[in-house]
Amino acid sequence: MRKPDLSIEFCGVRFPNPFVLAAAPPTDSAEMIARGFDAGWGGAVVKTLGLEHVEVNLVSPMMAGLAYEDKNLIGLENIDLISNRHLPEVLQEVSELKKRYQEQVLIVSMMAGTEDEWKEITRRVQEAGADMIECSFSCPHGMPERGMGSAVGQDAALTYERAKWVVEAASVPVLIKLTPNVTDIRPIAQKVKEAGAAGITCINTLKGLLGFDLDTFAPIPDVGGKSTAGGYSGPAIKPIALRFVSDVAKDVGIPVAGVGGVVTWRDAAEFLLAGAGIVQVCTAVMRYGYDIVEELIEGLGYYLEEKGLGTPADLVGRGLPNVVSHEALSRDYKVVASIDGDLCVGCGACIVACRDGGHQAIEFPEDAAGTGNERIPGVDEEKCIGCGFCRTVCPVTGCILMKERESEA
Amino acid sequence: MSDRTAGSGALVEFDRTYAPHEAVLEASRCLMCEDPPCNRGCPAGVDARRFIRKIRFGNFLGASRLVREANLLVGVCGRLCPQEILCMEHCTRAELDTPIDIAGLQRFAGDVELGTLAPLPEVADERSQRVAVLGSGPGGLAAAVELRKAGYQVDVLERSGTPGGLLTRGVPPFRLERSFAESELEYAKRLGANVLPGRGDEDPARLLRSGYDAVLVAVGLWKPYTIGLPGEDLEGVHVAGDILAVVADGGRPDLGRRVVVIGGGNVAIDAATTALRLGAERVDLCCLESHDEMPAFRSEIETAQAEGVEFHTRTIPVAITGEGGKVVGYEGIGIRWKEPGLLVPSNAERIPGTEFRLGADAVIEAIGQGVADRYEGVETDERGLVAAEPETMATSRAGVFACGDVTSGGATVVQAVAEGKRAAEGIDRYLRSLGDSASGGGDGR
Repeated sequence: MRKPDLSIEFCGVRFPNPFVLAAAPPTDSAEMIARGFDAGWGGAVVKTLGLEHVEVNLVSPMMAGLAYEDKNLIGLENIDLISNRHLPEVLQEVSELKKRYQEQVLIVSMMAGTEDEWKEITRRVQEAGADMIECSFSCPHGMPERGMGSAVGQDAALTYERAKWVVEAASVPVLIKLTPNVTDIRPIAQKVKEAGAAGITCINTLKGLLGFDLDTFAPIPDVGGKSTAGGYSGPAIKPIALRFVSDVAKDVGIPVAGVGGVVTWRDAAEFLLAGAGIVQVCTAVMRYGYDIVEELIEGLGYYLEEKGLGTPADLVGRGLPNVVSHEALSRDYKVVASIDGDLCVGCGACIVACRDGGHQAIEFPEDAAGTGNERIPGVDEEKCIGCGFCRTVCPVTGCILMKERESEA
Repeated sequence: MSDRTAGSGALVEFDRTYAPHEAVLEASRCLMCEDPPCNRGCPAGVDARRFIRKIRFGNFLGASRLVREANLLVGVCGRLCPQEILCMEHCTRAELDTPIDIAGLQRFAGDVELGTLAPLPEVADERSQRVAVLGSGPGGLAAAVELRKAGYQVDVLERSGTPGGLLTRGVPPFRLERSFAESELEYAKRLGANVLPGRGDEDPARLLRSGYDAVLVAVGLWKPYTIGLPGEDLEGVHVAGDILAVVADGGRPDLGRRVVVIGGGNVAIDAATTALRLGAERVDLCCLESHDEMPAFRSEIETAQAEGVEFHTRTIPVAITGEGGKVVGYEGIGIRWKEPGLLVPSNAERIPGTEFRLGADAVIEAIGQGVADRYEGVETDERGLVAAEPETMATSRAGVFACGDVTSGGATVVQAVAEGKRAAEGIDRYLRSLGDSASGGGDGR
């Protein structure tokens, strides 16, 4: 395996690479995390821990996938809870892991209720040797009903108060993991910053209801005929995650651990461009295994090399200046659809899309009989407003381009 | 898709159909073309894009019903149609990678309601006029269904004891499970067509005189041609139709260890692959045509090759040899065409030095079939094929119509279905032009 130097500093901690296992089933034991580190992950967030008295009563099944065509997992819904393992046992494992893996960064995710509880768990996690702490203010199911999880992250005042408790007790950098189930994350992220946390992890899962069984009318996942809204993750949520990451990085100015739908190095690179300093992955690891980190590392390495960039840090936030308000977008830049007749297979999907989803600007030619070009659609440039939808339906890569119009001035 | 196991002795094998999620996946490859080229390829007018769209979006019942409405023989055509030269040949997806498996998706659509009673289409107000359909093969059944939909009283007169024509007695059961033909026959019956086996020997003119208002001749081609070779009267020389009919009825004739089939069409291929399943260790197929010239469907030729049938293309038979009155061998010789493109024996020039001999326990002739009967006042061509006006399928005799192989000389099932539908329209127009007064009404007068 190729080993480019992808090391990066995040919140004052050196990561061997920006790829980190998110707090989730893949990080629920030392044995699992060790296999992840051996595969090449730069860090791991141990699955969220609670104090001994917190009852974690799991249901089953607790996961279900959203399928689309040939993909059976474009999104994953879970109604899992925080780790149901005994705290001292896991903390013992954390200590042992730290002895075995000095280079990799071990972050421990945790959740608590009162000030005393937050401070107690902070101290105990630190004593075990965690390099960083991540506080879950964001789990959307189960915990909010008990005043924890996203019940905290949806309230700026609660967020500030609890973040402050942890920061006061902590000697290692503190990350606050926020929920996307809010109208605007920025005021809440601002409070995290004011409380003195080192950074923000976002996003946790989106609260969703995956579907219903049409025979039994039970929601999915079906827990004995009933279900509940849960946390939705996977490739389907990537655009939403990128939006939150860029909002926080641009408007709040605090380091961000980006998470939500990362599968390939390209996804990871986009998170870096949106301002994430490290990238966490969960669903793709659950689906494909720890080994996918090899493709993340090599792919990002080759990309940086090709672009003549030094390290991942050179990408962080690099796209943010280009994320602007709608008002700030140019009205002078105009494009028009252009169909490459040599590449076109003649399906006419663009015609349907433009007719029923656009501006009726694309048609098969009327005067092409016998030329062999009967099924190569033409664009009426008067009618085309350059929306770009035709390009999204074309089955041939590069066949439809949106070309800049000649300036009329 | 195919789960064939040649030589295993199994006479019943089926093409596996898609599981629902597989069908959706295949359908999702469809580009859903504007002005879809695939639709132009179907003689029966099946709207391929629309039924594929229905599958893609999970409307399986809708797909089944749409296809059945256009083509009663939805399951049969999904198995027998040479889609690679019809709808699939025009598929735009082929420009990207491979065409959509329209045949497989049609099989899926047809099987959605297999074993259940597919809902019947609406039947117009009952009309008293009576139509006799001679023959219960694809063309006759398609016409019977359309005529019933239009409200006519329909009797389907079938010469043999087993209705279905080619579907039950011509196509070997490993290519078409008989239950498909039977369920599609059942559909016509439930629509109210009277299927009367053992009654196909009647002349259209007499049927008209006995109270039918119109007659459709859809009897197919059942008279086998023979070559007239030396040795043709030996024990062990068969015509393909006889063997296939026996097998279709559940028989397992013993053809011996080595079988030679003469002919290059689909029936010859069926005879060859059937012989393998009957236990033949070696099957040689000898035909006039080259591989590319053979009239059999490509997919069938490829299957036969894969199953081990030996091809002797561009050869002509010389003699069948025997000992003690029984076949022991076959003699042939290579040919070239005197005039290119004319694929008939009279145009074949024998190439000296290319003589060959094959050992044989049986020789099966499969060189084509002709019209078995002549009909009073109905014009035929020099081959005895019934002349029918292509738009209405009307023959030279008023009130008599014809469709399917008896007019075309042998085409595809889907072609017969298309002609059956056209004939039904022609009959409807004809009977409407006569007015209801022409009918005696009810059953007989």
